[in-house]
Amino acid sequence: MARVATLGMTLLLVGSLLAPADLLAQTKDDTLVYAIQSDVQTWDPPNSVLRESIILGYHVFDHLAARDLKTGKVGPSLAVSWKNVDDTTWEVKLRKGVKFHDGTPFSAKDVKATFDRVLDPAKKLTARGNHAKIKTVEVVDDLTVRFKTDGPYPLFVERLTAQVMQSEKAIREKGHEWLQENPVGTGPYKLTKWSKKQEHFLTRNEDYWGTKPHFKHVRIRIIPEQATQIAELISGGVDVIKAVPPDQMDVINKSGQARTSTSPILRTAFIQLDQAGRSGKNPFQDRKVRQAANLAVDVDAIIKHVINGLGDRTATSVNPMAFGFDAGLKPYKQDLAQAKKLLAEAGFPNGFDVGFLTTGPTVEPGLIQTTEAIAADLAKAGIRTKQRFIGEVGPFTNLVRDNKADPMFTWSWGYYSVFDADAILFDVMTCGQPYSYYCNKELDDLVIQGRSTLDAKRRAEIYVKAQKLIYDDAAYLYKWGLRGVWGISNRIEYEAPRDEIDRMFVVTPRKK
Amino acid sequence: MRRYVVRQLVQVVVVVVGISLLAFAILHVLGDPVLLLLPQNAGIDEFERYRKLLGLDRPLYVQYWKFVSGAVQGDFGKSWYADTPAFKLVLERMPPTIYLTLSGLVVALLISLPLGILAALRRHSWVDSLCTAAAVAGQATPLFWLGIMLIIVFSVRLKLLPASGYGTWQNFLMPAFCLGAALAPITMRLVRSGVIEVMNMEFIKTARAKGLAEPRVVVKHAFRNACIPVITVLGLQFGQLLGGAIITETVFAWPGVATLTVDAIRNQDFPVVQCAVILLALLIVGVNLIVDLLVGFIDPRIRTGT
Repeated sequence: MARVATLGMTLLLVGSLLAPADLLAQTKDDTLVYAIQSDVQTWDPPNSVLRESIILGYHVFDHLAARDLKTGKVGPSLAVSWKNVDDTTWEVKLRKGVKFHDGTPFSAKDVKATFDRVLDPAKKLTARGNHAKIKTVEVVDDLTVRFKTDGPYPLFVERLTAQVMQSEKAIREKGHEWLQENPVGTGPYKLTKWSKKQEHFLTRNEDYWGTKPHFKHVRIRIIPEQATQIAELISGGVDVIKAVPPDQMDVINKSGQARTSTSPILRTAFIQLDQAGRSGKNPFQDRKVRQAANLAVDVDAIIKHVINGLGDRTATSVNPMAFGFDAGLKPYKQDLAQAKKLLAEAGFPNGFDVGFLTTGPTVEPGLIQTTEAIAADLAKAGIRTKQRFIGEVGPFTNLVRDNKADPMFTWSWGYYSVFDADAILFDVMTCGQPYSYYCNKELDDLVIQGRSTLDAKRRAEIYVKAQKLIYDDAAYLYKWGLRGVWGISNRIEYEAPRDEIDRMFVVTPRKK
Repeated sequence: MRRYVVRQLVQVVVVVVGISLLAFAILHVLGDPVLLLLPQNAGIDEFERYRKLLGLDRPLYVQYWKFVSGAVQGDFGKSWYADTPAFKLVLERMPPTIYLTLSGLVVALLISLPLGILAALRRHSWVDSLCTAAAVAGQATPLFWLGIMLIIVFSVRLKLLPASGYGTWQNFLMPAFCLGAALAPITMRLVRSGVIEVMNMEFIKTARAKGLAEPRVVVKHAFRNACIPVITVLGLQFGQLLGGAIITETVFAWPGVATLTVDAIRNQDFPVVQCAVILLALLIVGVNLIVDLLVGFIDPRIRTGT
């Protein structure tokens, strides 16, 4: 018996040591290591809502248009130019001489196949909503495509940056299932190996049409635990991590091995006040009460002291990076006397008690602390909140959608990476949208006007009006635009990307 | 012996059915998965369409029956996130977790057997007190904290081991130790009390009286008899070990089934959760069945029920 046990144990030990096979060293000169928190479920970007899918997609695929990270403007990529033939037709000219990783040349039929697949309701791809305004895609010649849209579609070009170009041949010959794990793109890297929940191994595309990446390989490692990511960064195992918590910035900067980089990101945070009465009759249906709430809080101090300056104050919910943002509008400034006066005028000389639905910091760093600070300021003016905390994002948004939120609740919005005022005004501020507790016909009209013209100047004017309207009406309690924090190894040059899409193909070694 | 095995197998079926019911009920209490599947700006009709598509609009007993009838044929449905069968996803992730738990078990035994026997033989000495103190400290240490401390010491400071990852033997050391250290204290205490109890028995006196060397008395006679409770508890602790694997896998970025399950629960990916829970339950039940048989093999009194 003792012998059997010994033998068994030895076998277990040997087995456990021999089991894993492929040896991969720590960071090497030709290899860049990037860490993400959770793995993607598929390598078919239009079939996913995850940001990680978008990021991975950028490395292996190309888009028709791409954003210049320095200027923030959208410029050519696989498309070299685009123009309006009429109000509902866009004509796009494609780049010549581009090849997919499997060697087939990229042409107009790939664009058509990509969009036809995404727009087909039977395919159930999540990207369909992004392009629902496109009615048909026509091939004019090998390098020209025409898009017919359902009414004028000003976001057309902007949305092109969110759609990867897939191969018509692969779609036709290999089919949907195959595409889930086998990306065929035109991008700067090829996928060499995907070890699920572990890592993606990318190898440089030596035939890339654009600037070739400096690093030959990229390892995209899945490291769920933030503390482990930071440990890897400062011990030299990983080169780039994102979503560093504000209180960990010092650890990284003092390590001598890595540094932090921050960037404003396309997400605005605010507190919704239930003007529409979806949670039932409540004090915030009175404009004076909403203005009082905005006047009660010292938002600037909270940004400075509670989140280490990692926020950019906004006058409304429109992000400074979005098209149509009005820099001329000055945010509310704390004025407790005026706030109390307005409350008294609204019939609350002694203030009132109100429910406040809150959630955890999944997408907004420091949310619990900033929410406490805001609640404390509100109480000074007489708005006494009773917090109801729902930590998980799913159930929280569930309550909001089903009219079960409290008269106030925390909210932030990421614009689906569309840098346009419409992407928040329509989704979170017009009547009847699932996540909008504001309803004002006047604003709805402006938003629809903004959607129905292609004239950028005219649109900008409309959005200035819209922001003035929601500012004067104090639709929500406005907070700030978020800033993201990245951790970057000292052996490389890289900066935090403003669209939250990391691009390992722009990374270069650091000059000594 | 055969009746014993049959009785155990019947129990297995009851346990697995019970677990599947529980998992099914808990998932449905958690809320609406469609909400997480669709983007925030999807319309109400879109939500309804998806609910119908996934069969979530049908009565619960219909959903459960569909699940059970598929499951017995190895078809747990497709993951709602990845367009892949849930069964395949879970099976792919199984080996890393099994390696991890087994090596945790080995580490636990390597620590607890020698220390437990030593503590028993030197009862009430400083060695015994030290072992007891270590066991209490070990029992009180959160796995999560231990993992991070190991990383800080061995990766960040000493730069000896990779902080996380999977694939080389270096990657194995810290997670296996971490998990093993969690299981070692209770095992050590059991070995100690088991050996102490056995050492006072008549047959030990006999062994000594017939002139056997002390090491042989301890290893061959005392330890073998002390093994029975230890093996039983190790079987029971196997579930705990899998629980610990969730934390260990998360800290060390280990691509196992435990993190897959947690992610699936968070995403409310019903097919994957169901499949993982059933397979893990089968694994635990299977290990315990083996333990029962093993104990029965070692100790004839147990299998005959006397």
